[in-house]
Amino acid sequence: MAQARYDEHVLIVGGGGTGGALAHDLALRGLRVTLVERGELTSGTTGRHHGLLHSGGRYAVSDRESATECIEENRILRRICPGTLETNDGLFVAVEEEDLAYLEPFVEGCAACGIPTQRLTGAEALRLEPNLNPAVLAAVRVPDATMDGWRMPLRFFATARHNGAEIRTYTAVEGLLVHDHHVSGAALRDHVTGRCGEVRADVVVNATGPWSERVAAMAGVEVPIRPSPGVLVAVRGRLCNMVLNRLHKSGDGDIIVPQRALSVVGTSSWVVDDPDELGVPEDHVERMYAEGAKLVPAVRDTPMRAAWSAARPLIGARSAGDSGRELSRTFKTFDHRETDGVEGFVTITGGKGTTLRAMAEVCADVVCRKLGIDEPCRTRETVLLPHEAYYRAAA
Amino acid sequence: MSAAGTPGLPGAAERAAPGPVRHKGGAGGVRGWLDPRGRTIGGRSFALHRLTGVALVAYLYVHLGVLSLLLVGESAWSDFLGVVTSKGFLLFDVVLLFAVLFHGLNGIRVALVGSGYAVRHERALLWAVVAIGAPALAYGALHILGGL
Amino acid sequence: MSETGTRRLRVHRFKRGDGGAHFDEFVVPAGPRTTVLDALRWIQLHADPSLALRHSCMHASCGTCGVQVDGQEELACVARLGDHRGDPVTVEPLANVPVLTDLVVDMADFFRRFGDRHPVLRASEAVAGAQPPDGLDRFVRLEDCIECGLCLSACPVAATSARYAGPAALSAAQRLLEEPRGADRDDVLAWAGRPEGAWRCHVGMECTRACPADALPAERIMALRRELGGREAGARP
Repeated sequence: MAQARYDEHVLIVGGGGTGGALAHDLALRGLRVTLVERGELTSGTTGRHHGLLHSGGRYAVSDRESATECIEENRILRRICPGTLETNDGLFVAVEEEDLAYLEPFVEGCAACGIPTQRLTGAEALRLEPNLNPAVLAAVRVPDATMDGWRMPLRFFATARHNGAEIRTYTAVEGLLVHDHHVSGAALRDHVTGRCGEVRADVVVNATGPWSERVAAMAGVEVPIRPSPGVLVAVRGRLCNMVLNRLHKSGDGDIIVPQRALSVVGTSSWVVDDPDELGVPEDHVERMYAEGAKLVPAVRDTPMRAAWSAARPLIGARSAGDSGRELSRTFKTFDHRETDGVEGFVTITGGKGTTLRAMAEVCADVVCRKLGIDEPCRTRETVLLPHEAYYRAAA
Repeated sequence: MSAAGTPGLPGAAERAAPGPVRHKGGAGGVRGWLDPRGRTIGGRSFALHRLTGVALVAYLYVHLGVLSLLLVGESAWSDFLGVVTSKGFLLFDVVLLFAVLFHGLNGIRVALVGSGYAVRHERALLWAVVAIGAPALAYGALHILGGL
Repeated sequence: MSETGTRRLRVHRFKRGDGGAHFDEFVVPAGPRTTVLDALRWIQLHADPSLALRHSCMHASCGTCGVQVDGQEELACVARLGDHRGDPVTVEPLANVPVLTDLVVDMADFFRRFGDRHPVLRASEAVAGAQPPDGLDRFVRLEDCIECGLCLSACPVAATSARYAGPAALSAAQRLLEEPRGADRDDVLAWAGRPEGAWRCHVGMECTRACPADALPAERIMALRRELGGREAGARP
């Protein structure tokens, strides 16, 4: 077990992909790191992810900042997470005449963001994916991939733990220790024993995704987060090998991600106040089936394995629209000394599964700057331990 | 996990202890074979196989013990025969026959499946055990009890 | 969760340092689609926030939410309350692995049973006739096994032998024989042929019945034995 090179202690609240990647980044930089999560790792948003490792294609026309982040991180994750990604690439598929109008802007957008593309005729696309809608008019191949929303993040936790970070599940934050505009730690409750205690830290990082507004409120500050859930439906059977996207402006039910022996159809988008109470609206489930069948007709007759909701943490003011689609998928780090005059407290939120490492890098830079530590980020090159090392290290 | 652990983290000492392992049927051990909840016919045949196996081993020792009566003398043996040929006792013979038939026939099934030769027919073989065993048991029972 | 009534749940509770385990009973709203996981999360949010349970993906792909529902191993996220007749429905942690708390088991004990090599990415056999695109030599996908531990909990041999490798680990070894991915065949067979390996199985078949991913662990153990038998027969002078 590696020993920290610095005495400075960072407490990360939230065991999702962002928290895991941040624990890994800070541990590599030699800081003392403790991460607490109220439940199992990735039980909030990360694990419920559709499993799409974005190439950035989905955002190439409307949100080039996100698209560029995606393709950079896509390349890095292929390098540092070998063996946990289904690297079969993806197709953006035109199935109706009007989809073809999106073809040129899409290919141009991808080129501008550095996303490689390959144009395919309908017949060529059907050779790659025989279950595609036979009416397919054209397709564009991009380097999408399927990631495992549990095992991929677990590799960050495994490596962080190996490098000395303490990862503590079933440990809930009951409050932050705040004195005179200074956060100095957190009051915790351990659900394994029912015991309570206080942990001191030089910086507390709020990495709780759609719950970050709630945790920030414990320090008396606000973050403009809108929990925006989407419904996903997993059907039994692997209907395709590549990630399939509809070639049009992002909408509902226009992604099919093959995952093991399942196919996941997603997603819808709306906005809620409480990320704990999402529900799975029946009409959204029906829409996933109807829209998914436009890409792969066999979806219609494939039995459902599960339907669920996941809340994206989107950054935006309360005045923004209520579908969530118009909010950017990018991420942001808030140093609350600068935004609210509160010292020792940082929030990292927004973003998406694909950009977890980049989010951690930006946040770790802010944390190190606050602590006066000059250490470079090493996560771009560091190949992560296999997921089960998380458990083998503990034994 | 750093060597010393984070100061102040609640529950650290209690978590370090190994957790209790729960087994089906409560405290565990052999009862884990016998808890019928959530078991399918495969698990039940496993349990019955183990039970009949243990019973047959026990019977073997009783049998050896009984044979040693011959060393005691002819009258001891005759007294014993009087007991075991009584109507009530013969029911035990039927139970014994059941154990022999099930353990033997299911043993053939387990050997065939367990060596990889009939894995896909595992259920069918179980019905074959019943199809062969039930008439044999009925015939044997009539013979044992009807022979009075 | 469309609510049409309520169900009673009897949930295993265990907090370390507080003495022994016990069961708590809760009444939860339940509709036709309500899963065991929906019900447990309802308890966390509305009745007892200290209830600890594992879950992540919500669609039977991560393998974290395995529990026993009325004694039957299931993934809570796809187990429908309506499919269980118990009143109350009893929810317990998986058997044969140590309990951390409440419904949470310590999966370190599950993973320690595996051999050294444990790749989870495999060649994809899905979609007959599909050609991989230029530059990809083959389609790949993740293994069927989601390492949930349901098979180990259901296994009657594991109930009496803590050292038994168990169905998941043995299946993983058999997958290495099918598709080595760099593994040494003799090493795999030597590992699987140990006393606590493939021969320990007694054909209860409960692992295949319990498997939520149709990974066929029992069939794979038998296939492993055939390989082991062939090897030992072949090794005879």
